[in-house]
Amino acid sequence: MKDKLEALLVLATADLAQADSEDAVQELRVRYLGKKGELTAVMKGIGALSPEERPLIGQVVNTVRDQLEERLAAALATVRSRSKELRLQSERLDVTMPGRLRPMGTKHPVTLVTEEIADIFAGLGFQVAEGPEIELDYYNFEALNFPKDHPARDMQDTFFVDDNVLLRTHTSPVQIRTMLKHAPPVRIIAPGTVYRCDSDATHSPMFHQVEGLMVDKGITFGDLKGILTIFVTQLFGSGTGVRLRPSFFPFTEPSAEVDIACVICKGKGCRVCKNTGWLEILGAGMVDPEVFRHVQYDPSSISGFAFGMGIERIAMLKYGIGDMRLLFENDLRFLRQF
Amino acid sequence: MIVTYNWLKEFVDFDLPPAKLADLLTMLGLEVEGVTPCGEGMDDVVVALVEERAQHPNADKLSLCRVNNGKEVLSIVCGAQNFKAGDKVALAQIGATLPGDFKIKRSKIRGEESCGMLCSEKELGLADESAGIMILPADLPLGLPVFAALGLKDTIFEIGLTPNRADCLSVIGIAREIAAKLGTKVRHPAFTLEDNGPSINDKASVVIEDAQLCPRYTARYIEGCRIAPSPRWLVNRLNAVGMRSINNVVDVTNYVLLEYGHPLHAFDFDLIAGEKIIIKRAGEGEKFTTLDGQERTLTANDLTIRDASRGVALAGIMGGENSEIKDNTTNILLESAYFNPTAIRLTSKRLGLHTESSHRFERGADVSVLARVADRAAALIAELAGGTIAHGLIDVHPSPVFPRTITAHLDRINRTLGITLTADEVTTIFHNLEFAVTQTEPGVMAVTVPLFRVDLEREIDLIEEVARLHGFENIPATMPKARVFSDRPPRSQRMERDVRSLLVAQGFNEVINFSFIAPDAYDRLLLPPDDPRRSAVKLLNPLVAEQSVMRTTLLPSLLETAAANISHRELNLRLFELRRVYHPRPGEELPAEPLHIAAIMTGRREPEGWCQGSDMVDFYDVKGIAETLLSSLQMPPMEYSSEAPESFYHPGKSCTILSGGKPVGSLGELHPDVQENFSLSQPVYYLELDFNRLLSHAHEREAVQAPSRYPDVARDIAMLLAEEIPATRVLECVRGVRLKELDNVAIFDLYKGEHVPAGQKSLAIRVRYRSPERTLTDDEVTRSHQRVIDALTAKLNITVR
Repeated sequence: MKDKLEALLVLATADLAQADSEDAVQELRVRYLGKKGELTAVMKGIGALSPEERPLIGQVVNTVRDQLEERLAAALATVRSRSKELRLQSERLDVTMPGRLRPMGTKHPVTLVTEEIADIFAGLGFQVAEGPEIELDYYNFEALNFPKDHPARDMQDTFFVDDNVLLRTHTSPVQIRTMLKHAPPVRIIAPGTVYRCDSDATHSPMFHQVEGLMVDKGITFGDLKGILTIFVTQLFGSGTGVRLRPSFFPFTEPSAEVDIACVICKGKGCRVCKNTGWLEILGAGMVDPEVFRHVQYDPSSISGFAFGMGIERIAMLKYGIGDMRLLFENDLRFLRQF
Repeated sequence: MIVTYNWLKEFVDFDLPPAKLADLLTMLGLEVEGVTPCGEGMDDVVVALVEERAQHPNADKLSLCRVNNGKEVLSIVCGAQNFKAGDKVALAQIGATLPGDFKIKRSKIRGEESCGMLCSEKELGLADESAGIMILPADLPLGLPVFAALGLKDTIFEIGLTPNRADCLSVIGIAREIAAKLGTKVRHPAFTLEDNGPSINDKASVVIEDAQLCPRYTARYIEGCRIAPSPRWLVNRLNAVGMRSINNVVDVTNYVLLEYGHPLHAFDFDLIAGEKIIIKRAGEGEKFTTLDGQERTLTANDLTIRDASRGVALAGIMGGENSEIKDNTTNILLESAYFNPTAIRLTSKRLGLHTESSHRFERGADVSVLARVADRAAALIAELAGGTIAHGLIDVHPSPVFPRTITAHLDRINRTLGITLTADEVTTIFHNLEFAVTQTEPGVMAVTVPLFRVDLEREIDLIEEVARLHGFENIPATMPKARVFSDRPPRSQRMERDVRSLLVAQGFNEVINFSFIAPDAYDRLLLPPDDPRRSAVKLLNPLVAEQSVMRTTLLPSLLETAAANISHRELNLRLFELRRVYHPRPGEELPAEPLHIAAIMTGRREPEGWCQGSDMVDFYDVKGIAETLLSSLQMPPMEYSSEAPESFYHPGKSCTILSGGKPVGSLGELHPDVQENFSLSQPVYYLELDFNRLLSHAHEREAVQAPSRYPDVARDIAMLLAEEIPATRVLECVRGVRLKELDNVAIFDLYKGEHVPAGQKSLAIRVRYRSPERTLTDDEVTRSHQRVIDALTAKLNITVR
């Protein structure tokens, strides 16, 4: 009997070596260890053994069963790992096929630039202020020291709603509204939509500006230069040349136009900068005392600077856009690139 | 303002090449917008002598010439008739390039060789028209480049002047700026005035009836002039700055205008009735023909120059046709006057008549320069047109103007600019600008500014002058010493960014459309006549009618944008716009400008691709976008009501969005008629929300719940119910049972059609039960679930399938 059992183990081991699938291993388990299996069949002979032999043979049976279990488990692990290996070898995707796309949109370039500018100034402690686009003549011109019937008004072709109401031509009226509401210190930027009756490749009847205003004790023209230099280098990259040159705006004095070294030719001179090496990107200056008078600030105790820039102009420079009209045609083939 | 390099050199000495001069001017605030060399690359056009002019053997109209260029004698074929042997001419030699990229090559014309071309002024770019070739003065040396020989080699500067700098609307004005920067002095034109004719008072008189609009009027009288073409130098000067030559007298007035920046006018005095000039306002409705031949209707606010019987000039703007200089004019009255800037501007604007003269007067002329300018022009007229200058100057000056004195404080100058100049340095700057300075006490200066600087009135104006002349580039950049204060950006600004980001993440491209739209857009949206959105803000002066009313809804522009994109085969669109709309408010001067969110969807639900679904978007896509957006923004649950649909939607596939019973927006499928009105060939879904109203409903995030550790049990109910019962009622009913263990309820199927009785629909919901404290028993769940079914049956009369 003991021999039989040992022979069984040898046989089973040989069979397991042949088993090449999980199913085959399971089948062998049934054949050798199942209720109607070989081991059971051998054990049926135990009853015929003498009481002395029984425990001995019983021991052999247990050993054989344990070994069978062990070998079955090992065989199972082997076929499983082999079949996993086979599966991994056979499953091959063309990973260059495009993935399953989800729709993804874009922000408008004007939004992108506005947010970037707002973020830079947020870092300098400037808050975002707003004002109406349909504005009173008083806030848009009068309080900003553009007297009625003054040639300075010709600088800005205005859309009118009636004698007194117009589409704001710049974001500067937000300066007035802010100062009327808050005592100094004031530190704001005011991004917004503005309008002028003008339309060609570099002018749109509707466009966007960001206004800036800082009023406090002892603010100087040198501070204006400092803030704008930081802004320009953050927006266009460190090392970007900045120059201020005298200009005229009714609501600032001294007034300056701010140029940056041409981002296309790096100041060497090209078509974009009309061979000057410089690109005009914003207007600025010290707040005119006349403006302070309109908002009941005392120019002898405080001072401040203001600046304003066209967002489209900056977007055009940053993204190499040649025609401003592209920004408002909303052609998806254009918008998708942002 | 256009000036030339050589012209500036007549008035100020400087040693700067044109490019450096342009920089200097720009950094003074006189922005040089263009620098154009004149005569550049024209050195191959030289002075040559026609030694012989013979008939071309093979052509009647051509001549065959032998031309000496100083080095050799060349054979040249020429078609012009206006020259003879012995004339000096402009020879474009082989290799020369004339304006218009016209290259001169050796050629054979009708069998005869031509080694170059004899040029006309037109061919050299010196005139618009010319009859025949250019005959040069006999004294020019042979072989010299023509442009250099004639003094035409020059550089033209185009300067963009700001409106405050009236004083720089002249060559002398700009020279004065150069002198101020370089610390030198301006040279005024030298001339000799011989006014040895009869006394001017015997010839003419001037009466100012409106001293407010005309504070000063001066005049010179020249008799016996001969009107003729101007000499070459004068024509060239005017041409160089873009002005046409008319005749010697008119050209002199223009030349002196450019030189000094002060407008002059010459009258044919024989056409002036009563030998008298009267300055007074026009009669209301008076007709007057200006010298451009236009008849104009004047008002009592327009200042005119008149003779004894009629208007003869529109003061400071344009002369009259009835008294202009003609070829037969002999006696001239030369006007040099000062007019009120505002009056000139109002008249010029109303008549749409903008002239060199009005441009200067409305910016403010120099009242102190009148006599000098009149003398200069009179002398030049006498020189070029002959004639005798009457003795004396008429100078009517009813309201004298004196130079202004402004107090400047050294510490204020330094404090404003962030620099540390000394009193001496500042004084030098003021002196260079021709200001008179008196120190009244230490650090305080009384500064008297000349009358040509009409822009300087206050101390800050002087501070700007110091900054300009010191050089903006020499002011150090500093960081402000500011007080610290901060607020977070308001919730509205944060939410604006969130909306954009959320919609972008849902596949929407942001667009920006013009705020003004076509007035018929509201008709095309089928808005009822009494819809408040029809009362839009209208522009008085739109560029085009299609951009004449301020939009009250974002829909029309988005539809136009969608149609434009579809027209170039972009069929799958998700576009959004977050912009203001403009709603007039009764009793208010300014409209409300609420921010609106609008989104449009059309085409496929998923991007096209080999493994993508190809379903088209429908109502529930746009609704899903709204729900996702609103829940991301922490909005309270909204009500979606199909009552009172908007005119522009499909009435059965649209809804109003309400929060707390108040509308905050709408969404739906576009009405087929509106779709057609906007030329859209495919169904379009739209969503518009009032951002400001949403903002007022937004609540802060509620405290979160810890997830239960115990398992849930899900039970489904498939039910039949009346078709018109909205799904929300079912969900509300389930929630209304107020079961503690109710975890969640959701609809997972909706079916109408076969196997469902007419007028009914089949709806399936899944109810999840869960307790935060323990595992629910089967019995408990069954009991709860039965209560749900009972409630549905009782309230909505459902049948469980």
